[in-house]
Amino acid sequence: MLYILCPHCGLRPQTEFSYGGDATVKRPELNKEISDQDWDNFVYLRKSPRGKHLELWQHISGCRQWIKVERDTLTHEIFTTYKASENT
Amino acid sequence: MAMQKYSVFSLIKNAFKGHKDWEVAWKDPTPKAEYDVIIIGGGGHGLATAYYLAKEHNITKVAIIEKGWIGGGNVGRNTTIIRSNYMHDENGLFSEFGMDLWRNMSLDLNFNVMFSPRGIINLAHSDAQMNAYSRRGNSMRLNGIDAVLLNREEVKKIIPMADFSENVRFPIFGGLMQPSAGTARHDAVAWGYARQADSMGVDIIQNCEVTGFDVSNGKILGIRTSKGEIKAKKIGLCVAGSTNVLAEKLNMTLPIETHLLQACVSEPIKPILDNVVTFGAGHFYCSQSDKGEMVMGGDLDGYNSYAQRGNLPTLQHVLTEGIAMFPFLSKLKMLRTWGGIMDMSMDGSPIIDKTHIEGLYLNCGWCYGGFKATPASGWTFAHTIAQDKPHKLNEGYSLNRFSTGHLIDEKGLGTKTWIS
Amino acid sequence: MPENFRLDQGGLINRNKKISFTFNGKKYFGYEGDTLASALLANGVHLVGRSFKYHRPRGFFGAGVDEPYAIVQMNRNNEVDPNVRATEQELFEGLDAKSVNCWPNVNFDIGAINNFLNKFFPAGFYYKTFMWPKSFWYKIYEPIIRKAAGFGSASIKHDKERYEHKYEYCDLLIAGTGPSGLASAYAAAKNGAKVILAEDKSRYGGSLLTSEVTIGNQSGQEWAEQIISELKSMPNVIVKNRSQVFGYYDHNMLVMSERVSDHLPKTDKYTPKQRLWYIRAEEVVISSGSIERPLVFGNNDAPGVMLSSAAKEYLKIYGVLVGKKPIIFTNNDSGYETAIEFKKIGVDPIVLDTRKDPNSEIIKEAKELNINIKFSYVVVAAKGYKKVKSADIAKISDDKKVLSNNENIKCDCICVSGFWTPTIHLASQSGNKTKFKEEIDAFVPSHSKQKETTLGSANGIFTLEETLKTSFEKGTELSKQITNKENQISIPTVVEKKSSKHDKFWCVPLPEGKNYKRFLDFQNDVAVSDIQLALREGYRSIEHVKRYTTLGMATDQGKTSNLNGLQLVSEVENKVVPQVGHTTFRPPYTPVTIGAIVGREVGKHSKPTRKSPMHYWHEKNNAVFVDAGVWLRPRYYKQGNENLFEASKREAKNVRQNVGVCDVTTLGKIDIKGPDSAEFLNRVYTNAWLKLPVGKARYGVMLREDGIVMDDGTTTRISENHYHMTTTTAQAPNVLSHLEYYLQLVWPELNVNVVSSTEQWAGAAIAGPKSRDVLQKLFPDLDVSNEGLPFMGYMEGNLFGVNAKIFRISFSGELAYEVNVESDNGNYMWEKIIEIGKEFNIQPYGTEALSTLRIEMGHVAGSELDGRTIPYDNSLEGLVSKKKDFIGKRSLSKKAYVEPDRQKVVGVVPLDKKTSIPEGSYIVKDAKAKLPNPKLGHVSASCWSVEYDNPFSLAIIKDGKNMIGQKLFAMSPLKNKTIPVEIVSSHYVDPKGERVRS
Repeated sequence: MLYILCPHCGLRPQTEFSYGGDATVKRPELNKEISDQDWDNFVYLRKSPRGKHLELWQHISGCRQWIKVERDTLTHEIFTTYKASENT
Repeated sequence: MAMQKYSVFSLIKNAFKGHKDWEVAWKDPTPKAEYDVIIIGGGGHGLATAYYLAKEHNITKVAIIEKGWIGGGNVGRNTTIIRSNYMHDENGLFSEFGMDLWRNMSLDLNFNVMFSPRGIINLAHSDAQMNAYSRRGNSMRLNGIDAVLLNREEVKKIIPMADFSENVRFPIFGGLMQPSAGTARHDAVAWGYARQADSMGVDIIQNCEVTGFDVSNGKILGIRTSKGEIKAKKIGLCVAGSTNVLAEKLNMTLPIETHLLQACVSEPIKPILDNVVTFGAGHFYCSQSDKGEMVMGGDLDGYNSYAQRGNLPTLQHVLTEGIAMFPFLSKLKMLRTWGGIMDMSMDGSPIIDKTHIEGLYLNCGWCYGGFKATPASGWTFAHTIAQDKPHKLNEGYSLNRFSTGHLIDEKGLGTKTWIS
Repeated sequence: MPENFRLDQGGLINRNKKISFTFNGKKYFGYEGDTLASALLANGVHLVGRSFKYHRPRGFFGAGVDEPYAIVQMNRNNEVDPNVRATEQELFEGLDAKSVNCWPNVNFDIGAINNFLNKFFPAGFYYKTFMWPKSFWYKIYEPIIRKAAGFGSASIKHDKERYEHKYEYCDLLIAGTGPSGLASAYAAAKNGAKVILAEDKSRYGGSLLTSEVTIGNQSGQEWAEQIISELKSMPNVIVKNRSQVFGYYDHNMLVMSERVSDHLPKTDKYTPKQRLWYIRAEEVVISSGSIERPLVFGNNDAPGVMLSSAAKEYLKIYGVLVGKKPIIFTNNDSGYETAIEFKKIGVDPIVLDTRKDPNSEIIKEAKELNINIKFSYVVVAAKGYKKVKSADIAKISDDKKVLSNNENIKCDCICVSGFWTPTIHLASQSGNKTKFKEEIDAFVPSHSKQKETTLGSANGIFTLEETLKTSFEKGTELSKQITNKENQISIPTVVEKKSSKHDKFWCVPLPEGKNYKRFLDFQNDVAVSDIQLALREGYRSIEHVKRYTTLGMATDQGKTSNLNGLQLVSEVENKVVPQVGHTTFRPPYTPVTIGAIVGREVGKHSKPTRKSPMHYWHEKNNAVFVDAGVWLRPRYYKQGNENLFEASKREAKNVRQNVGVCDVTTLGKIDIKGPDSAEFLNRVYTNAWLKLPVGKARYGVMLREDGIVMDDGTTTRISENHYHMTTTTAQAPNVLSHLEYYLQLVWPELNVNVVSSTEQWAGAAIAGPKSRDVLQKLFPDLDVSNEGLPFMGYMEGNLFGVNAKIFRISFSGELAYEVNVESDNGNYMWEKIIEIGKEFNIQPYGTEALSTLRIEMGHVAGSELDGRTIPYDNSLEGLVSKKKDFIGKRSLSKKAYVEPDRQKVVGVVPLDKKTSIPEGSYIVKDAKAKLPNPKLGHVSASCWSVEYDNPFSLAIIKDGKNMIGQKLFAMSPLKNKTIPVEIVSSHYVDPKGERVRS
């Protein structure tokens, strides 16, 4: 079971969190012209790398904050965790 | 040379010769410099594709390139369930076409894949769920697929060991059954296809890793591998959980995420369950193998992973639902667990299509339903490669459906692939 | 009278407590401290079961977790326990066990016919036959094969036993209490580390219990006892026996199963049978020891052939002789230890050593004891069917290829030692890349992925001296990093016998003209010839070999067979073992009871149940409940002999005619506060929110980014910067996460906070033409007239001393209000409504009537908003703003979503106005069309319209907007129904929506 360092609460077991997918996917700005392709890229396309993956988790049974976690998808090792507001 | 035929007679004959005369099921060739078609991925789908390229399209200058050993991926890591109980027409018609291939597979391949149409029952735990199953079952029936709606008493007759007691959180209201669905011996499927493909001239090249692609002017020319460069006019990508890894080498980003799914078996017990049964108030499925092991699976571990190793809380959750459905499981012991990596597509349905690169074809996005699709996937992918256009059966499985909005979302969960 | 194999003295059993037990219906005696295996052996019982495929007789091969044979069925606590390993099951008074996989009994087993036909059943034979004709596999062959499947039988009764879970955190988790485990635990504990020390067996000490060594001035066993008692007395140490650490998971999470009361005759109600420990450890020490490897020869599966270490264990721990005429067959010094133990109690063993002229202290000692030793000798084949009676032995040439001097000697057991395999399972599970150690012909851990250290024989260290030294040091070093203490421990002096080198030879060649089965995997009947066949047929990867032959896939998971299998493959393939590589180790190390993994979440507790504050009122008033997610909601309130249909019709009718009240507590509620709340809602919902005045509610639809409707509900502006959002029951948690996602990650600049208030409020919907009268009486001081509280209005009031929120919103399509009070006051509110409503003929109504009311009004709900539909499909396009951007808007321009014949919700009425259309039916043009019959769409919801007294359904069909007035068919092949229907507007009742505004 993963052990995730919530930047707000400390180390907590995976069961307190819910997963939120690729954190590098950036939502296009509101009210901005955007091509079909760029929009579909945002909605559907994922790199899903083998190795380092920056991803979102929400500390759903804790502080309810969304956090960013840098984790290895092959070994499950967690390198760093960030607050939503922190730059990665 | 004609392939050695397997039969009860050849078995007896060989028994008296101490089984010394059996030939290799497939050879171990060194790769040629060039092929008409290269299939990357020696899993069920890749092997089936090569077989149908040879059998249906007479294309035999084919190589299968496998990084490890054939059948080592999801074809050997699944819970062996075969079904076509889909609501959407694309999925239903495609899978039902596959059911016909399954029914004839052992004879077709001269390899007993032990296809066993023991019936699958999806349990329902509310009237609302019965209605949702009616929607699916009616769609199946209108598509010519067998489906039966069972009430509580009918379910009880078939699987009396399910929890029909008072002490139950989600009582069984009934279920949707596909009597012709069932199971098969997963490894045998890979080996059977490999043996036949090999006998028709396909080169099965194991322990050969693809390190890069040779693409020029939007056209595929060949691949680079740990065993050297190999040229090919057409290349089919058939690597399930490794799709994203190879896509990266092609500078492609796909509507696919790679996730981990665990399964487990109990110690063998005397036969108690003939059917495949799924729990309706969660995500758990179970069948009993011919060895007596209860074969069980359920939810994804729920985060991107290539690890083929999961964590216990997911299994705990899955087995909790297991006991809720079949209380007798409680006393059994969990013998083996394993994980497979799933190519989860953004609408839960697969992709079998051409790509923007000429000569490069894509077969992926099987989520956790790849095993049952093996023959139909191989058959349609072979067609797509040979004819350079999709067959009617896989037209819906296009890559651009994500742009057009013609999605095939069987579960209605959208792009959160990790929610199962 | 069975012969007695119990020694008069010796062993660690309690000879003062005699225990009776039953095996295969026959009564036997043993002692406290016995296992079922030792007690049966003491009674001379060797035949305990039959093998999987050939039904060959099976006895005891080991003395612990590695046992491949001795699997029995137990009755305990009036419960059936299938597949219990007799070598692990401790004896208790009244224990009742029987053999499995044999019929009619273990002595005479019909299935053994397979053994005589075994030449027709080589590895993978079933892939080659049973193919023709095609349906015969499933109809004829498989049922026969299936009958033979499995070992024990499961009871289909509910498991009455209790299983518990425990979570622990520690500095060091140490798995195994042999010398390395004890030494490292002791050192770490002395350094102040929090230590958990786990032992799989009931007795602590591991190999120290059976080896002749001295530590300091104590015997190994005494030393172990002393260390354990000292550890037990330390507050920072948890010592657990009968506890198997079976899984090493991510981030140093290990899982251990404790057999709390499997060794007791009965478990009382609150004592668990087993307890599962989730342990998060800073550091893990794997001191799991090693398992002796078998030597492989003809008929090496006969009862009476067993590991030499097991024979020694039965002798030294249980005072049991496994035979009185033993042959010790060994390729290393370990066999001599067993031989000497036999000799010491007056039994004369014969030692066959595959080595030519080994020399060591222990061999010298054996010689001095006048033990008959034959060097360069092997057992060619065991003789005897249900029990070893003799052995064909032979001299073997130096190149190990030629047998000579064949002779047959009488014996009653053959104790084999093929050297030792380190138990690296946990290390491998943790991600450790193991390496092959030539000196010991086995894999040992190499580079750690997680914080894990393997010590002692598990790490391939077979001398006690080095084991103790490294283990004390490691215990100190690992704990020092955590506690910053360094307590000096003086390492005691060790006296042990030095061993000579083992022989790599492990598999005896077949003598000329003989075709003995030489088994590798005893339970699955995998013989040397099977592996050779697999390789001949091209199944060359070790994974192919394993899957083709089923080697190592039995319940012992190959603990005694895997390495020999590898050695065989490497020999045939002419590779070195590391090139062949081992198959991956996955948890569990040993099978774990599924009940223990699940714990307490069984029966009614398999998922939580949520109930509204009014639940007990509903119960008292004959509510029939329905599961709505994890909530229980009243489906209808039964009066007299009513059924669902009659009751829901009555309830719905009463709403249309008078007034009804419905518990809407389960709706999701989210409190939204902050100056940017309006802007936020404007982005979340498809419609405009910037101009909603205070004290007004608005209906809204929210989308996922892919344009699919996610949820709908009303949101009310309570005050300038405070909104109250409602969601559907099912989507409540997802909507909250969705809002938090956008606020925290996408638009952090918005000053808005959201929090779930679902549990804070109890809600009652009062609906019907007389609802205003009820409301007025509930709140006599308020102006609730159509002007005072118009449609979509909001006000706060005092409900007989309780603060209430009043929303004029309607799901039923009638004039209606929702009243919310704090949850604690929910029941009070409810009872007041019922009491005051009496004069207006108020009746409670459940979800079924609620559905009827919304369906005939054409209000969409979960069955239409099914995760596949866009606003247009639900006739909600009027709520989609063209002016502003919002979540998911960009997706709505996709080709499929703007096609002119896009699907849309419609009403469906049967032409006969009588036949109800089953939900989940499909609308088709031609009921008799050839399959696959093209579908226009599906019936999403059906009801009996109380307004028109005929069936009415909603359907989402292709080109719905142009289909009104068409005569089509609704088909439900599952229910064998084809119903001619007319497509009508989905707004069947009050299409202009006048009632809600009246």
